Amino acid sequence: MDLGLSPRQEMFRDMVRDFAEKEVAPRAAAVDAEARFPAQTIRMMGELGLMGVAIPAEYGGAGADTICYVIAIEEISRACASTGVIMSINNSLVCDLIYKFGDEEQKRRFLIPLARGEQLGCFCLSEPDAGSDAGNLRVTALAEGDHFVLNGAKNFITNGKEADIAIVFATVGRHLKHKGISALIVEKGTPGFQVLKEESKLGIRGSSTCQLLFEQCRVPRENLLGEIGEGFRIAMVSLDGGRIGIAAQAVGIARAALEASLEYARGRVQFGRPIAAFQAIQFLLADMATRIDAARLLTYRAASLRDCGAPYTKEGSMAKLSASEVAMWVTTKAIQIYGGYGYITDYPVERHFRDAKVTEIYEGTSEIQRLVIAGHLLG
Amino acid sequence: MRIVVCVKQIIDPELPASQFRIDAESKRQRANGHPLVISPYDENALEVALTLKEKTGGTVAVVSAGEPSAISALRKGLAMGADEAALISDPALDGSDAFGLAAALARGIQKLGTPDLVLCGCESGDWADRTVGPILAEALNIPCVSFVAQVEAQDGRLRMRRVVEEGYEIWEGAPPLLLTILSHESNVPRYPKVKDIMTASRRSIPTWSAADLGVEAGDIGKAAMRTEVQQLTLPSRESRCELLDGEPAQQVATLITKLRERKAI
Repeated sequence: MDLGLSPRQEMFRDMVRDFAEKEVAPRAAAVDAEARFPAQTIRMMGELGLMGVAIPAEYGGAGADTICYVIAIEEISRACASTGVIMSINNSLVCDLIYKFGDEEQKRRFLIPLARGEQLGCFCLSEPDAGSDAGNLRVTALAEGDHFVLNGAKNFITNGKEADIAIVFATVGRHLKHKGISALIVEKGTPGFQVLKEESKLGIRGSSTCQLLFEQCRVPRENLLGEIGEGFRIAMVSLDGGRIGIAAQAVGIARAALEASLEYARGRVQFGRPIAAFQAIQFLLADMATRIDAARLLTYRAASLRDCGAPYTKEGSMAKLSASEVAMWVTTKAIQIYGGYGYITDYPVERHFRDAKVTEIYEGTSEIQRLVIAGHLLG
Repeated sequence: MRIVVCVKQIIDPELPASQFRIDAESKRQRANGHPLVISPYDENALEVALTLKEKTGGTVAVVSAGEPSAISALRKGLAMGADEAALISDPALDGSDAFGLAAALARGIQKLGTPDLVLCGCESGDWADRTVGPILAEALNIPCVSFVAQVEAQDGRLRMRRVVEEGYEIWEGAPPLLLTILSHESNVPRYPKVKDIMTASRRSIPTWSAADLGVEAGDIGKAAMRTEVQQLTLPSRESRCELLDGEPAQQVATLITKLRERKAI
């Protein structure tokens, strides 16, 4: 059993780390403080191939594997969690979804610019009354000739403001429940599609989170992903992959908090000694590092299973559950190590703490992950 | 233009000083599993080569003389856009100083084909002795222009901006030439693209021994040493506090005198 990275994966990691440290991290505090979408960074990431990491080259992607993808998300999120989630949504909830379920024409038309980073995508599942209860959608997609007509609102849509392409899940008939849900590709500028509101958030403030409104929005039938009624399955399969990305994002945030804590503990002198010399701090640092490593290994395992084509729903949920809760714990302890300085915005750990919280919520709350895991255990 | 760039793999010079460990016997820094990177000025040199290639056509090869691990430095060179790579690695190279390394590199470069331009970083990020480039030029019997920050190709000639203490000099010359390259805003190394990393990882890179290159045993390794490291130590750091007596005006005058004595101002 080899738990190490291959030379190719190491070279990939070194490139992304170098890029993240030089181009992403220096902008992270401002991106957060000003709630500013990091457009320049995202453009550069597109040029490098980071917006479609695991998509084959023939469809505009970089042709790497899922392990590389999670390495990239960790490294970018370590530098800036907002940039990490913008990248994660485009890669795993938009590009992967079109690659898996799109027909050849849809791949040529939509996937290539998305994977190249020339366009940005968003994934529209949540609604005001359908969060964890994703089968209970109220946005309707009624067939009318060679179009579907969308009506209703979508909530908490990451990248909603900037996205050129939206994958919208809607029901063709509420009485059909899960079996009525269908997935449509909606282009920005389609009449009847508008961004209603951008939320002001606790963390990941550089990524937009929006409410989108569809009013008599006519979407051509050729933009249907998969079959009518296949949408719920498509959403669940996509979220399996997405959860690996969020796990990696959480690992990246936690690592940033640990590294900041190590640096601070070495330099902060109290009672005549660096606080790193005190066992109370050492134990915290040891526990932080151990939990982060465990979360990363769970994430790598889920990614590795995906690369092998093996089932990974349970393992993806375990990785996401573990990593998000580790990120929350580690960032909380990081603030404790910093003391009062951890609570003010001059230091990065309060940002890591705020960024960490959402990883326990989006792409399935911790409670949903536990339900998924328990469901697999109990059969 | 056929360009060859010499790259050296070193322990990441950004490593905190607290992690720097010295091997007393070899008088070298211990690797200790630390990250290995391409020496920074060598990356600037590679960027210069790739930019020249984009403007004038031709090919870029990267070559390294070092441990087998240096293959990863060469792969990064390929991922950045080099066309060809070769590693010179042989236990007989152990203990080589700049003369031994230059002898091996010269043979490796000749085996790749006669170059128009050879580029080296102006100094390595570990030893910084600034000698391999000029000695290599001597071994290849081509002119050397050192500390070059910018290069432009014009009508088959090269125009070079060379940094000197008082400012800069403009040099012109026709290939073949060897240049040692400084960092400059025009040669910030590019990030390799992911797809190019994937392609580079599949490329095979030849590894040549001293025998493959026909290098004489007496020209490399300890036998060829003309310089010897007597001692390698970590710089000691001291901090002292001195309180100056007198009125503020007198304290300032004393402070200025003391700073001047220490050449701080």
